Amino acid sequence: MSLDTNFMAQVFKTAIAGVPVTLQIVLVALILSLPIGFIFALVRIYRVKILSPIIRLYVSFVRGTPLIAQILIIYSAFPSFLATIIGKSAFSIDPINYAYIVFTLNSIATLTEVFRSALQTVDKGQLEAGLMVGMAPRQTFVRVILPQALVSALPNITNATLYLIKNSSLAFIMSVKDITAIAKTQAAFSYNFLEAYLVVWVYYLIIAYAAELLFWFLERYFSRFQRTTTAKSFNWHLFSFKQPTTTVQAVQYDPKKELVNHAHN
Amino acid sequence: MLTIKNLTKSYGPQQILKGIDFQVNQGDVITLIGPSGSGKTTLLRTITTLEKGDGGTIDFAGVQGELAHLSKNDIRTIRQNVGFVFQNYNLFNNKTTLQNVTEGLVVAHKIPKAQAKTIALAALKKVGMADYVDHYPSQLSGGQAQRVGIARAIALKPQVIFFDEPTSALDPELVGEVLKVMRQLAEEGATMVVITHQMNFARNVANKVVFMADGQVVEAGSPTDIFDHPQVPRTQQFLAEILSNV
Ligand SMILES: Nc1ncnc2c1ncn2[C@@H]1O[C@H](COP(=O)(O)OP(=O)(O)O)[C@@H](O)[C@H]1O
Ligand SMILES: [Mg+2]
Repeated sequence: MSLDTNFMAQVFKTAIAGVPVTLQIVLVALILSLPIGFIFALVRIYRVKILSPIIRLYVSFVRGTPLIAQILIIYSAFPSFLATIIGKSAFSIDPINYAYIVFTLNSIATLTEVFRSALQTVDKGQLEAGLMVGMAPRQTFVRVILPQALVSALPNITNATLYLIKNSSLAFIMSVKDITAIAKTQAAFSYNFLEAYLVVWVYYLIIAYAAELLFWFLERYFSRFQRTTTAKSFNWHLFSFKQPTTTVQAVQYDPKKELVNHAHN
Repeated sequence: MLTIKNLTKSYGPQQILKGIDFQVNQGDVITLIGPSGSGKTTLLRTITTLEKGDGGTIDFAGVQGELAHLSKNDIRTIRQNVGFVFQNYNLFNNKTTLQNVTEGLVVAHKIPKAQAKTIALAALKKVGMADYVDHYPSQLSGGQAQRVGIARAIALKPQVIFFDEPTSALDPELVGEVLKVMRQLAEEGATMVVITHQMNFARNVANKVVFMADGQVVEAGSPTDIFDHPQVPRTQQFLAEILSNV
C-alpha cells in the first residue's frame, strides 16, 4: 500500500478552510461556557435554592450521555423548535449555530464541575484570614480565593479545551463544514479515506498542540506564587503521553538563612 | 476592654462551651490552657465571630449585645478590632509577604497604599521579616510564615490579638523564633490572648492563666496561682500530665 501524497497535499490545502470553522466552534463554546460554568459552580457551592438541584441534574445528564446523542437530539429538536418560535424556515439557519449550542451546553457541564472542585480546593482558612483582617467575605473571595481557585482550575480547563477541540470534529454530523467534513467530502470522490484522515489527524494535532502551549504559558504566569509545580517546563515532545513531572524551585532559596520547612497545607 | 458573659455554643447535639465568662483588660497577656477538645479554639472563634455563639453576651469596642444576634455592623466592628493568628498561619497564598500585611490595611481599613506599605514594613521589621517582602508564603519556612502572620495581625493595631496555638504546627527548632516575637509584643504592652501548650510562655510571659476543661473555665488566676498553687483537682491533674511530658 502506498500513500497518494499529491492527494494529501490537495486535501491539506482545501481542509485549511475548515480550520477557522473548528476554531470558531471551540472559541464560541469556551467564551460562553467559561463564565456560565463559573456562575453555575457558584450556584452549586452556595446551594442556591431551586437552581442548584436543577444544575446538578443538568450536569449529570450531560456527563452521563454520549456527546453523539446530545448532537443528534439538539440537531433534530432545534430546527423545528426554532421554526415554531421565530417562524423562520429551519433550513435558512447556518448549521454552525447548532454546533455552537451543542458544544456550549456540553462544556458548561464540564466547566461547572471544574470550577466547583477548584473553588473547593481553596482552604477555608483563607476566607477566615480575610475576615480577621477586616475584609468583607466578598472582598476576600475576589482578592484571595478566586485567584487561587482559577490557578487550580487551569489544568482542567486545558483538558476541557482539548476535549472540545477533538469533539468539535463531530460537527460534521450537523453538516458543518469543518476540517473533518471537508476532508471527508474530498475523500469520498476518490476513496482515499486513509490519506484524508491522516491530514485531519495532523490538523487536530497542530491545533491541540498550540492550545496546550497557550495554556501552559497561562498556567505558568498565574501560578507564579507557588514554589513548586508539576509541568513547570513545557513538554515539547509531540508523542509522549505524559507531561514531565519535574519540580522546579521558582526562586533561589538560601538554605543558610532558615531551614526549609514543609508544614504548609 | 472585652467582656464575655455566659457564652454557650453547641455543634449539633454536643454542647462545646457551657457558659463561659471571660474578661480581657488592656495590656493583659492571657494564656488559655487545657486538654485538647476542651473548647479553647471554639471559644476564640466565637469571640472573634468566626463562629456564631448560641447564647451569651459580648461587650467590646462599643458593641454590646447577644452573641447570637449580632448585627452585620457589630460583626464588622468586632472583626476590625481584633487580630487573629492561626495555628496553620493561613497566609494569603497568592500574595507576597508585603501584600499579606497591606491587604487588610488597604482593603478593609482604607489606608492609602503608600502609608499602608510604611506600616507593613515596620510590622515586618518588628517580626524580623523585612528581608522577605517579595517572597510568597510557599517560599517561607513555618516559623517565617507565622511571623508574617503575626505582622499581618499587629499592623492593623487591633485592641486584642488572639493566638490559636501559634507554634504547634512548627518544627521544634522553629518554635523559639515565634515565641520570641510574641514575648517582645507582650513586653511592648500588646493585649494578647494565647492558646498554647508552651508552659514556659504561660508561666513567664502571661499575667493571667485560664484553665479550661470540658467546655468550662475550671480555674483562672496568675501564673503563680495556677502553676504553683492549683486549687482544683482537675487543674492539678492536667498540669501533672503536661509537665511530665516535657
Ligand atoms: N466545626 C465543628 N463541628 C463539629 N464539632 C466541632 C467543630 N469544631 C470543633 N468541634 C468539636 O468541639 C470540641 C472542642 O473543640 P476545640 O474548640 O477545637 O477544642 P480545643 O481547641 O480545646 O482542642 C471538640 O470535641 C471538637 O470535636
Ligand atoms: Mg484548638
